[in-house]
Amino acid sequence: MSALLKKTLRDQERAFLAWAIGLALMAGMYAAFYPSVRDSATDLQRYLDNLPEALKSLFGGDFTTPAGYLRSETFSALGPILFLVFAIGAGARAIAGEEEGRTLDLLLSAPIRRSHVIADKWISLVVTTLGLAVVLGLTITLIGPLFDLRIPVGDLAAACLMLFLLAVTFGTIALAIGCLTGRRGLANGIAGALATITYVLNVLATAERSIAPLRPLSPFRWYLEPDPLTTGVSATNVLVLLAITAIAYLGAWLTFERRDLRA
Amino acid sequence: MSEPAAVIEVRELTKRYGTSRGVEDLTFEVSRGEAFGFLGPNGAGKTTTIRTLLDFIRPTSGSIRVFDMDPRREGVRVHQRIGYLPGELALYERMTGEAFLRSFAELRGGGRRGSDTWPRISDLADRLSLDLTRTIHELSHGNKQKVGLVQAFMHEPDLLILDEPTQGLDPLVQQTFYAMVAEERARGAAIFLSSHVMPEVERVCDRIGIIRDGQLVTVTDIGDLKAKALRRIEIHFDRPVSASAFSSLAGVKEAIAHGDSVLLSVEGPVDAVIKEAAAHDVVSLETREPSLEEAFLAFYEPHEDGERSE
Repeated sequence: MSALLKKTLRDQERAFLAWAIGLALMAGMYAAFYPSVRDSATDLQRYLDNLPEALKSLFGGDFTTPAGYLRSETFSALGPILFLVFAIGAGARAIAGEEEGRTLDLLLSAPIRRSHVIADKWISLVVTTLGLAVVLGLTITLIGPLFDLRIPVGDLAAACLMLFLLAVTFGTIALAIGCLTGRRGLANGIAGALATITYVLNVLATAERSIAPLRPLSPFRWYLEPDPLTTGVSATNVLVLLAITAIAYLGAWLTFERRDLRA
Repeated sequence: MSEPAAVIEVRELTKRYGTSRGVEDLTFEVSRGEAFGFLGPNGAGKTTTIRTLLDFIRPTSGSIRVFDMDPRREGVRVHQRIGYLPGELALYERMTGEAFLRSFAELRGGGRRGSDTWPRISDLADRLSLDLTRTIHELSHGNKQKVGLVQAFMHEPDLLILDEPTQGLDPLVQQTFYAMVAEERARGAAIFLSSHVMPEVERVCDRIGIIRDGQLVTVTDIGDLKAKALRRIEIHFDRPVSASAFSSLAGVKEAIAHGDSVLLSVEGPVDAVIKEAAAHDVVSLETREPSLEEAFLAFYEPHEDGERSE
């Protein structure tokens, strides 16, 4: 492991632990709510059936099965929000954060290529996000059975993998915007706005025919459809998210390699 | 491997920014083992020049060679041999001094030929009375500056680029800093020191470049600059002596009679003044070494013809 990667990971240690604990608490809480939600599912289902098409695709699902419950609760709502906030924050901090904090000059005065700095920062983003996905998966696997929330490990792992890939995609986009502008706030803001817009686009496009052709542009389209919690990993979805990540990474590298660092 | 004589070679360097001024058409060299002072007021373009040397920013035009390498394409090899202290030093505030220096030593792959730099780090920290166990955000500005200095010196670089190195250091620590620089020079390292105050340049450097509004006003030996500087002489006679006897002498720029004394400002040799004074009864004679500060200020005087007499 390179000295820079080691340093970057060590820098993230505390933040990562805080996130991991928070995430485990959230997942445990969701697991604990499962029995009561399942038992009142018939009422809930009736309510949901009356929702407009767009909202149904958002909140809908079968709350009586562990897979349906996890999909609607953990993987459609708070899960992506937490993972994206974490990954976008890490991506924006990676270069632009150091640049605004004025430590980047010092770091780059060491014998390290700029491309190497981006690579190590990105790897650190990937490793920590993966760590959070593992924490989420483990919590559900270990705590879930206490509350009757049982799900095949393979399916759960597939969903965690997709959540991880989605977060890395947006984290890399934030990294790229930070590399282009050197502004952390801008990188956070634009990547966050992109996530919100493409999320809404994905939801609306299922209901509104006129914008349906735009739906493939949303990374969220490639996240939970087909449902990894019932059908496992879709190679196409994985490849599309990886492709978007690769393009963003290339953009990060090309722009950062060419421009002046901010004073 | 034969070493080129020039450690830094800057040719017609121009750097323009969108709105703010950069530097215009700079040409200078720093030789092996030389200490070069880069002097100018804040905002004159010193930091801009340094940041192009390190490839943080790219020239609009002109060329830069460091150790006869292109800092852009061979940045890693160039940086291996450089110790750098940024002008606006920012450190990783949540690390301790030790953790920070250890991780930077590791980034650099150790000292010369990969040697362990820790003994040298703790030795430098001791000399600067720097407590490495404290978290950096707890340190005063001066102590942070010390961490930056240790970081620049720890790997025994061939070239030290120091941007305003003594800012925030108390006078005692400044002395330690000067001693450290002297040792580096004895080892054969070249120094590129930027400053807006004369004394630190005067202490360290052989040659200086004076930069003003992004342009290099002059590059000169410190000795030449001092020779050009005005020497103040006060001669106390046993009775009043007319100043006019002195004002026409070679090198005398100003002569004022004041009671039994004559106050003189002299450029260059003082021989003529001494001989003229010997014609009278001299009670005492005081002369003050020209401060480089005054010589420096002379470059910034608004009138161009060099007239300084009144």
